[in-house]
Amino acid sequence: MDPITVALPKGRMQDDVLGLFCAAGYPTEAESSRSLVFADKTGTLRFLLAKPSDVPTYVEYGAAALGIAGLDTVREGGHDLYEPLSLGIGRCHLALAGPASWRERDLRREPFLRVASKYPHLAQEYFERRDLSAEIIYLTGSIELAPAVGLADLLVDLVESGRTLRENGLVELETIMESEATLIANPAAHKLRSAEIREIIGRLADVVALRKVAP
Amino acid sequence: MTDQLRRLRPHGLDELFDEQAAIKVALEQRLHDTFDKWGYRRILLPTFGYSESLAAGASPELQRQMYRFFDREGNVIALRADMTPLTARLVGTRLYDSPLPLRFCYSGSVFRHEKPQAGQRHEFTQAGVELIGASSPEADAEVIALAVASLHALGVADFQINLGQVAYLRAALADRTSQDALEQAIGRKNDAEIARIVQELGLSAEASRLIRALPHLYGGRDVLATARDLAMNQEARDAVAYLEEVYACLAAQGVAEHVLLDLGEVRAMAYYTGIAFRGYVQGLGLALCSGGRYDDLIGRFGPGMPAVGFALGIERAMLVSSAAVDLAPDALFSGRTTADAWGLIARGRARGLRIEVDVLGRQGDALEAFGRARHARRIVLQQEDGYWLLEDSEGQRRVSLPELQEEMDRWTR
Repeated sequence: MDPITVALPKGRMQDDVLGLFCAAGYPTEAESSRSLVFADKTGTLRFLLAKPSDVPTYVEYGAAALGIAGLDTVREGGHDLYEPLSLGIGRCHLALAGPASWRERDLRREPFLRVASKYPHLAQEYFERRDLSAEIIYLTGSIELAPAVGLADLLVDLVESGRTLRENGLVELETIMESEATLIANPAAHKLRSAEIREIIGRLADVVALRKVAP
Repeated sequence: MTDQLRRLRPHGLDELFDEQAAIKVALEQRLHDTFDKWGYRRILLPTFGYSESLAAGASPELQRQMYRFFDREGNVIALRADMTPLTARLVGTRLYDSPLPLRFCYSGSVFRHEKPQAGQRHEFTQAGVELIGASSPEADAEVIALAVASLHALGVADFQINLGQVAYLRAALADRTSQDALEQAIGRKNDAEIARIVQELGLSAEASRLIRALPHLYGGRDVLATARDLAMNQEARDAVAYLEEVYACLAAQGVAEHVLLDLGEVRAMAYYTGIAFRGYVQGLGLALCSGGRYDDLIGRFGPGMPAVGFALGIERAMLVSSAAVDLAPDALFSGRTTADAWGLIARGRARGLRIEVDVLGRQGDALEAFGRARHARRIVLQQEDGYWLLEDSEGQRRVSLPELQEEMDRWTR
């Protein structure tokens, strides 16, 4: 059988994620992660390293059977995927934030809302759910800058510790969704190679459960 | 801008030619040959209709994907996004008193505004069948077995049908109206989210246990036993018993080896009420076919009637089919086109040969180059003196009219 291809997020989460696979019985050579595609020592898995926001795309198109991505990224893209396991790492939440003065303001009474975000779909969905209409300004980084220079009134962004917000004189107004690193699967691959994939998910789940007990 | 648009195609539309076009037509033909052998009759349906009828029973997602525009009276018109509502309308309004069951098959373009990718186009071709007026496990099994036969006919290897039962989840939800968020979470096999929603809904312990097990209920016959143990009311038990009978019929027909029971398969058309299935093929990241039972749809147009059907995406089939086509002409004729030449050509075509005539009258190297480009098996050039130059895999030779005639009678496709 061909190895199962797993798309991993390159960068910040990479080591944590490889550590998780190692603990689940799929160890890799330390230097192998310098290349973009490499196998684990057992030859069961083939890893590919992709930009974190591209991981769901690799999996949706079936170029990888499995992948690991933040739930925020998965939902923002509106991908048609399975999310069989939450991994308990990379926890954060998507929040609506803005200057402290907005704590006192009622969004329903604002004639006009301008919101900067890296997550235009999730932001739009949130405002629609609250029956509000907002103009979403799509930015790809340094979202905290937008309210300071008058580009937007509010922002929707990921919050981990809240430090970045505080440093920019902003406060969190509301939580939109919780997010963490999530194992995603291509539905067709999940069905066609279900025994192998079930085995991988089972082993990862055991590691995640163990870590929850003794972090 | 208009100058630019004149040359552009909107995204997600295809223009096919040569082998691709021929393969697509050939695959459609193979499907209709198969449907025909099972007694399904062809129906030809309109491409657009009133939005109210085409969107009947569709999920909010599919409704969003429909192309809509206004007619001159201001009515909202939609392009068909699948064939089933149109078939249901035909039966519900005109054919409801026919001897039952009715067996219909179709193929044609449907239109959906989805993110375009290989095998997922804004205009794509669906071929499928509807078996109407029969509510029995045998009817469901026939449609699934026909889907298996269709995949064989297409030359698709290594496929699998995932068979679920929508009624099982509905039974667990009892009288609660549609639970989109829950069905979405089950569709994503997201255990954590399912657990959270189940808790929010305040379902009974038995119902929660069943729902939380759903994403893991897949495999062979043993899945049925587990599902029966989890069933907490008569409805759920009936749903499992029905599925069991369908599976037994499939086993009797020798196609159960292709079928995997998958009770977590709830992401189906919103109008499904019973069994639902999808076909997957090694190497294709999308389902190749999907189908199910829809007992409440025809009743929206006329007297209610049970029905079951499936549809298959031809473009997706093209990505995984081993089918090949041969477009090479058996002969390319050129030179003086005399009555003798036309006689030979007509005779050859009548025998089923594919004969192309070079209407540009090329000779020599130019003719040979054109013959190669068309992959012609033979080149025939009539010369001024009444003799013929015949070139084939064995080389070139000069022949008389009777010799050529005799030779041509031996040619086959």
